[in-house]
Amino acid sequence: MKKVYAFETKCLGCGLCEVYCRTAHSKFKDVVKAHNRDNVISAIVIENIFRQSKPISYFVLQCRHCLSPRCVKACISGAMHKDEQGIVHNDKKRCVGCLSCVSVCPFGAIKKSRDCKTISKCDLCVGYGEPLCVKNCPNDAIKLLDENEVEVALK
Amino acid sequence: MMKYLIIGNSAAGINAADAIRMNDNKGNIKIISREKFRAYGRPLISYYLSGKVSPENMYYRSENYFKSKNIEVLLNVEAENIDLKNKEVATIGGGKIAYDKLLIATGSGPFIPHIKGLDMCKQENVFTFLTYEDAIKLKKKITKKSKVIVAGAGFIGLKAAEGLFGQVGSITVVDLADRVMASILDKQSADIVQTHMEQNNINFKLKTSVCEIYGKNNVSTVALSNNEILDCDILVIAVGVRPNIDIANTINLKTKDGIIVNEYMQTSKRDVYAAGDCVESLDLFSGDSKVFALWSSASNQGEVAGFNMASVEMKAPMVFAVNAISFFGLQLISAGVVNASTSNNIVLDLVKSELCRLNILNDNLVGFVLINCEQRAGIYTALISDRVKLSELDYDITSRDVGFSVYSKDERTKKYWEPCKR
Repeated sequence: MKKVYAFETKCLGCGLCEVYCRTAHSKFKDVVKAHNRDNVISAIVIENIFRQSKPISYFVLQCRHCLSPRCVKACISGAMHKDEQGIVHNDKKRCVGCLSCVSVCPFGAIKKSRDCKTISKCDLCVGYGEPLCVKNCPNDAIKLLDENEVEVALK
Repeated sequence: MMKYLIIGNSAAGINAADAIRMNDNKGNIKIISREKFRAYGRPLISYYLSGKVSPENMYYRSENYFKSKNIEVLLNVEAENIDLKNKEVATIGGGKIAYDKLLIATGSGPFIPHIKGLDMCKQENVFTFLTYEDAIKLKKKITKKSKVIVAGAGFIGLKAAEGLFGQVGSITVVDLADRVMASILDKQSADIVQTHMEQNNINFKLKTSVCEIYGKNNVSTVALSNNEILDCDILVIAVGVRPNIDIANTINLKTKDGIIVNEYMQTSKRDVYAAGDCVESLDLFSGDSKVFALWSSASNQGEVAGFNMASVEMKAPMVFAVNAISFFGLQLISAGVVNASTSNNIVLDLVKSELCRLNILNDNLVGFVLINCEQRAGIYTALISDRVKLSELDYDITSRDVGFSVYSKDERTKKYWEPCKR
């Protein structure tokens, strides 16, 4: 299965990925409208790497779509589920915003929504062809890779 | 073709059925349930009570899910006893169901304390609050004027109280402990929760208990151990749960409070497994065997049982409590040890009702309470479950908000890049 991977050495910490993530998950499929009129938060965390209390570099983190996802096990409503392809989705209609998923995600990659009624997590932009964070990263710091490509990247 | 039979249609049972199907696409999988509803998110009953979740969204899996996985679910069927020799389960009404591998996932039921004058069979306004049916009955009975007494300020009692808010005349929660949710909250955190609930018109009577009930077919008043007398139109009993082990006892399974299982979720009898609220699990900290009534733990154990039933070896991890709950918008996550004499790091903002308490013992995080500041809670949970040495982390977790960058570069790379098997 293809997943999004972040490359620490290339990340500028610019936040463009978050802008496009919000756009992808907004009812307005437009950057400006999503930013001004919609309340969605991104499904991406930009992590700081610290040296002597100062952030010196960055990397982005989104749902790892674990093989045996703890969030799915913890979900009390059945909203969180893994589809046939292995993508972990949250069904907003059934989510009650209890944050049981947040309490067990070992990456801290699930965020609560602004209205606290649900959560926000990466769904790999299913329906867009390619995740918008990958497409719009100005420095190729986020890539969509399958298992073989991961092997190559790690060498 | 293998015949798998699962008694119980909730978190443990369904996750077991999923795991079996994942590993055996031909086997015959049957789930029996004594309830009349198809599987629902049990903790959702308080959301149903408040009206936040509609009946069609109560269900844990979609209607065609079980059909698509070729899992047969028999509702309104209750196991009566087990014939180990012939490998059959007899059901009430005379049915018999054969199995090769059996899972007991019967969950837990309400603990009913001995209270003078209490007669659950006769008194029509006394309720427990564990099943969808309990919630439906309670919702039918309440009126805008009802004076409600909830016995028990634990998770279930408080969620029942929240669910009733706005629909009744008054709500009073009674508990013997000095604070709400005493088993998962320290005093300071509990006070924040209690104050927040009081601001939403929930009344509390703590350090006392309901000791006598008056009224033959309908409770009219209750007496507390501190000699107070309270009017009562509805009494909800929510003082705790006990494992449902009646069926286990029919075949003399080894039990303590719950069914004793090994790390493969096998009971003391061959080809009989057990998982969820009805079993004893090993406590991560003490190593003691005890009953944890936790949704996520039931799901995990169900999965482990399912793998092993399908002859794919898998071990269950040790357990510690992780609870995520909200009350009237106050978000709370509590995990592990919260009351022991550990070194506490507390960041508190009473104006915003924010609290972050990290309990550290030697070089390990052993527990935490987060109120309204829960964003990366799962990282703390992982630090507890993986018994990570805090001194090996990239920074001091008490010095700033935790992130995945807390792990050293090597550790981070390993966790991130290696196929995640969590």
